[in-house]
Amino acid sequence: MFNANRRYMADFDWALLSLAVGLAAFGVLEIWSVTTTHGTATGFWRKQLVGVGIGLVVMFLTTRFDYRRVVNAAPYLYGVGIALLLLVFTPLGKVVNGNRSWLELGSFSFQPSEMAKIFTLMLLAYYLAGVRKRPLDLRTVVVTVGIWALPTVLVFLENDTGSALSYTSFLAAMLFLAGVRWSWVAAALVAVVIAVIVAAPRIKNCESYKCERVKSVYWPDLAQKRFRYQNEQAEIAVGSGAVLGKGPRGSTQGSLGFLPEVHNDFIFAVASEEWGFIGSSLSLTTYLIIIARLIQIARRSRERVGLLLVAGLAALLLYHVTVNVGMVLRLLPIMGIPLPLMSSGSTSVVATCFGLGLAISVRLRRFVN
Amino acid sequence: MASDKNQSFDSTEDLRQAGLRLQIIYYLAIVIFAALIARLWYLQVINSQGFKDRAEANRIRVIPIPAQRGTIFDRKGRVLVTSKASFNIILSREGVKDSELPQIADLLAEHLEIDRQWLAKRFEDAKYGAQYESIVVKELASESDIAWVNAHGYEYPMITAEEAPQRLYLYGQLAAHALGYVGEVSPEELKKPKGPFSKDNGYKLGDIIGKFGIESKYNDILTGKDGERRVLVDSRGRIQLNGEIERIKPVPGRDLYTTLDLDVQKAAEAQADTMPAGRGAVAMMDPNNGEILAMVSRPAFDPNIFSQRAKTPEGKEEIRELYEDPDKPLYNRVIQGGFPPGSTWKLLTAVAALNEGTITPENSRIQDGDIQVGNYLQHSLSHLGQPTIHDAIVHSADGYFYRLGLKLGVEKFENWVKLFHFGQRTGIDLPNERAGIPPVRQTKLREFEVPIKKAEKQLEEATDKTFRAQLEFRIKQLRHEAEWTDFDMINSAFGQGRNASTPIQLLRYVGALANGGHLHTPHLLLRAVAGIDRNGEEHTEASYKDENAFDVPMSDTIHKIVVDGMYGVVNEGGTGGGARVEGFDVCGKTGTAQVASKDKSGKKTNDHAWFISFAPRDKPEICSVVLTENAGRGGRESAPRTQAILEDYYRRTRGLPPKPEEAQAENGGPGTAPGNPGGKTRPPGAKPQAQN
Repeated sequence: MFNANRRYMADFDWALLSLAVGLAAFGVLEIWSVTTTHGTATGFWRKQLVGVGIGLVVMFLTTRFDYRRVVNAAPYLYGVGIALLLLVFTPLGKVVNGNRSWLELGSFSFQPSEMAKIFTLMLLAYYLAGVRKRPLDLRTVVVTVGIWALPTVLVFLENDTGSALSYTSFLAAMLFLAGVRWSWVAAALVAVVIAVIVAAPRIKNCESYKCERVKSVYWPDLAQKRFRYQNEQAEIAVGSGAVLGKGPRGSTQGSLGFLPEVHNDFIFAVASEEWGFIGSSLSLTTYLIIIARLIQIARRSRERVGLLLVAGLAALLLYHVTVNVGMVLRLLPIMGIPLPLMSSGSTSVVATCFGLGLAISVRLRRFVN
Repeated sequence: MASDKNQSFDSTEDLRQAGLRLQIIYYLAIVIFAALIARLWYLQVINSQGFKDRAEANRIRVIPIPAQRGTIFDRKGRVLVTSKASFNIILSREGVKDSELPQIADLLAEHLEIDRQWLAKRFEDAKYGAQYESIVVKELASESDIAWVNAHGYEYPMITAEEAPQRLYLYGQLAAHALGYVGEVSPEELKKPKGPFSKDNGYKLGDIIGKFGIESKYNDILTGKDGERRVLVDSRGRIQLNGEIERIKPVPGRDLYTTLDLDVQKAAEAQADTMPAGRGAVAMMDPNNGEILAMVSRPAFDPNIFSQRAKTPEGKEEIRELYEDPDKPLYNRVIQGGFPPGSTWKLLTAVAALNEGTITPENSRIQDGDIQVGNYLQHSLSHLGQPTIHDAIVHSADGYFYRLGLKLGVEKFENWVKLFHFGQRTGIDLPNERAGIPPVRQTKLREFEVPIKKAEKQLEEATDKTFRAQLEFRIKQLRHEAEWTDFDMINSAFGQGRNASTPIQLLRYVGALANGGHLHTPHLLLRAVAGIDRNGEEHTEASYKDENAFDVPMSDTIHKIVVDGMYGVVNEGGTGGGARVEGFDVCGKTGTAQVASKDKSGKKTNDHAWFISFAPRDKPEICSVVLTENAGRGGRESAPRTQAILEDYYRRTRGLPPKPEEAQAENGGPGTAPGNPGGKTRPPGAKPQAQN
C-alpha cells in the first residue's frame, strides 16, 4: 500500500494538476475582481471557490480508480446522463438566458449537459475501444453516431447550440482516431465546406437571434445594433487591456456592466482587460500546454480505450477554449460556451476536473496492462 | 468470428496509426491557438489605443459645469446684471419611454414638491418637443431637492440636478435694450459653419450665449471658461458611488463696466414711462467722448424672462407675446428706429449754409413765411418777417429754412449730410444698428428705380407702336419725377421728406454741435476687467477705443451761432422753453416729425416729438435725444422730459437737494403738467405755431 502510494505520488501528473489549479485560481480571482469592484454580487466567487474545491476532490477520487473500471460503467453513466437531460424538460428544468439547460434541485442547480458530455464521451471510448477494426466499418460509424445523437439532439432541443456542437467535437476526434477512412474524413470536410457555402447567404437574410449573432461577427453591417453590442463591448474590453492590462480590479468594461455575462462566458474578456496581452496570451498558452499534455498522455496510452478517452477529452477542451475565446475575440459567433476551469459555474468546473482526473488516471496506469 | 477479426486487428499498428492522427490534432490545436494569440495581438497591441478610448468613453461621462457670466456694472460700479448660482432639476429624455412619464411625474411630485398637474402638462408638451431636449422639471431647486436627486441617482439616472447659473437683471426692464438678454444657443447657430457660436468654436447645445444688446456684443468678454466633472458611470449611465474622478472648476467670465449711469438711466426710464403712446426713445451721452449715460426704448421688456423662464411654458408664452406685440418691445428704437428728424435738422442746414457762405454771421437775414413752389404753397407756421439765423433757430422758423435750403442748393446740402455721416451707422457697440435713410438725391432716385426698370423692360418686349410710345412717355415722366425738385429741397432743409434718422445718429449729431464738430462714436463699453476667456486665453484690462471718431469743419464763429441759437431755444422764449434748468444753461432744439397727412387723426398718426439738447452751454458734459412717438410737438412733449432728466442730473452732480415736486412727473407726465414752478419752463404751447 505504501509502495503503491509512493508510486502514485511519483507518477501523478503534478504538472497537469498545477496548470489546471492555476487556471482555476485565476478564474476565481477574475470573478472576484469583476463582481465586487463596482457591483455587490459577491456570491459568485465564493460559489466558484466551492466548485473548484469539489472539482479537485472529484479529480483525486477519479485518479484513485482504474479508468478502465470507470469506463466500464459508461453505459450506466450514459443512461444517467440521458435521464438528467430528459429531466430538464420536466418542471425541474430552469430556463436561463433562453437556454433550457438547467436543473434546479432545491437551492442547488446544475447543467446536466456538462455531465452528460463526459458520460457520452466515455461511452464512445468504451464502444469504439471494443471495436477492433481498422478502418472502421459503416455499421460502427452508425452506432457511434447513434450514441452521440441521442444526448446531442436533447441538448439541441434545450436550445443550447454551443453545447450540442461540443458533443460533435469529441465525436469527430474519436471517430478520426479510431480509424475512419481518410476518404470519409475528406468527404466530411467537403460536406462542412458545402454547408458553409450554402448556409452563408441564408444567414445573411435571416433575422433570428442566432443568425444575428453570426452576422454581427462576419457581416456586422447587416446585423442589428443590439446584437453587435456584446461583441463590440468584448472587443473594447480586450483591446483596452493593451499589453500590460489595467491591473486586478481595474476592469471597467466588465465591472461597470458594459459587458453582460461577464463572470461566466466572458470571463476571458475581463482577464484580458485586467492583465493585458501578457496575461491573456499566457493563459491561452497554459490551455495549449494542458491540451498538449492530454494528447501526450493519449499517445503514451498502451491501449485503445485510454487513447480514445484522453484524446476525446483533449478535443472537448480544445473545442471549449477555441469557441469561448473565439467568441470573446469576435472571431466566432456568441454561443453559451463556458471557458473550462475559469468561467463561473460549478458544473462545468467539476465536469472538467472529472475529465482531467480520468486523464491523470490513464497516465498513472500507462505502464500496467 | 469475433476471434477472426481480432486476429486481423494489429493492436500495436492501431495505436501507431492513432498516434499519427493524434499528431494531426496536436498541430491543429497549435494552429488554432496561434490564430487566437494573433487576434489578441491585433486587439491588444496593434489597435489598443482605439479600444482604450472607447472604454474611457464608456466609463467616463463629462458633465460640464457652466461658468458664470461676468457681471455688468454701470460706470460707477453699481451692479446692473449678475449671475447667481442655481440648480435645475432635469429629466433626461434619453432612454425614457413616454409610458414611463406618469410614474416619474408621481415620483417628482411627491419628492420635489412640484405640482403634479403642472408637471403632467409639461410632460405632455415635451412629447411633441425635440427628442434631444431634456425637460426642466424644477428651476431654482432647493438644497433638499438636490440632495434627494443625488441620493437617488442610482435608481433614477435620468433625473439629475444641473448647475445652471441664472442671469439676473437686477432692475428688470431698466436699460433692457442696451443690456440685452441671454439664451441657449440655437441649433441653427451651431450649424452655421463660420458663425460665432458654431460647433467649430466649441459651442454645444445648452450653452448660454448673449442674444441681444451688450450681452451679445460683448459675449466673448462676459463668457467664462466652463469647468467639468468627470464621473464614473456604469452601462446604464448611473454615476458610481464616489464616482467623481476629476473636477475642473469653471472660471467666471470677465466683468464689464458700461458707460451707463444708473441715476441718469433711472431718470430717463421714469420719463419714458410717461410717454403717451407708450412708445419712444431716450438716450443721453457725454458729448466729449461718446459714452452713453442712458439708453431707453419703449415699450421695453424684462430680460429676466429669457434667462430664467425661457424653458417654462409660461415663459415661452411671454416671449411669444413679446415677438408678436405690434409695438415691438424687443426692438431698440434708439438704434433701430428710423424717423424723420423734423426741425432738429435745421441746425445741420444752418451749419452747412454758414460754412458754405450762403449766409454769413453778419448778414443772415432771409424771408420767413409761406412759400410758393411751382403750383404748391408750402405753409410756414412762423411769420417772422426777415429774421437772423439766430432768431430762425430760436423760433424754429420754417419759412426761413425753406429759403435757406433753396439758396444753399442740393449739392452743398448733400455734402453736409455726408459730412455728418447721416445714412451711415454710428458704429455703436450694439448689434442690429440701422443706417437710416439720408435726404439726398440718391435716395429719391432709388425710389423710382424699380418702376423705371420695370417700364424699360416692358419697352424691350413691347411691339405695339402705341404702347411703346406710351411706355416711352411713362419712362420720361418717371425720370422727370425722380429728379430733385425745389419742393424736395425745402422739405429736406427742415428735416422732413425722405429722411429716416435714428435717435443715436441725432445724439451723436447734437454732441458734435455741443463740442464744436467732433463726432465720437457712441458706445456703452467703459472697460472690461482682466481675466481669461472661454478658451482660457489671458486678457488684460481693456477699455473702449474710439477708432471711428471724426470731425466736421465748424469754425468757432459758426459754433457760437449754433450754440447761441440752441441756448435761445430753451432760454430766450424759443420753442424748447420746457427744457430749461435753472443754472444749467441747457441748449436744445425741438423737432416735430410729421407721421402722416394732417387730415388723418388718431394716436398712430400723431406727430413724433423730438428734443435734442446739451448742457451746460459753455462746457458741455451731457447731451440728449428724446423721442416721444405719436405724441405731438417736440416742445410740448419731449422738451419737458429732457428737462426732468437734466434737472435730476444737474442737482445730483452739483450736490443740490432733489427737486421737491419730482413726484409730479410720474403722475400725468410732463405734457399735462403745464405749471412748472418758478417759471423755469414756459407754459407749453406758448409758441406752438413755431415748432416745426
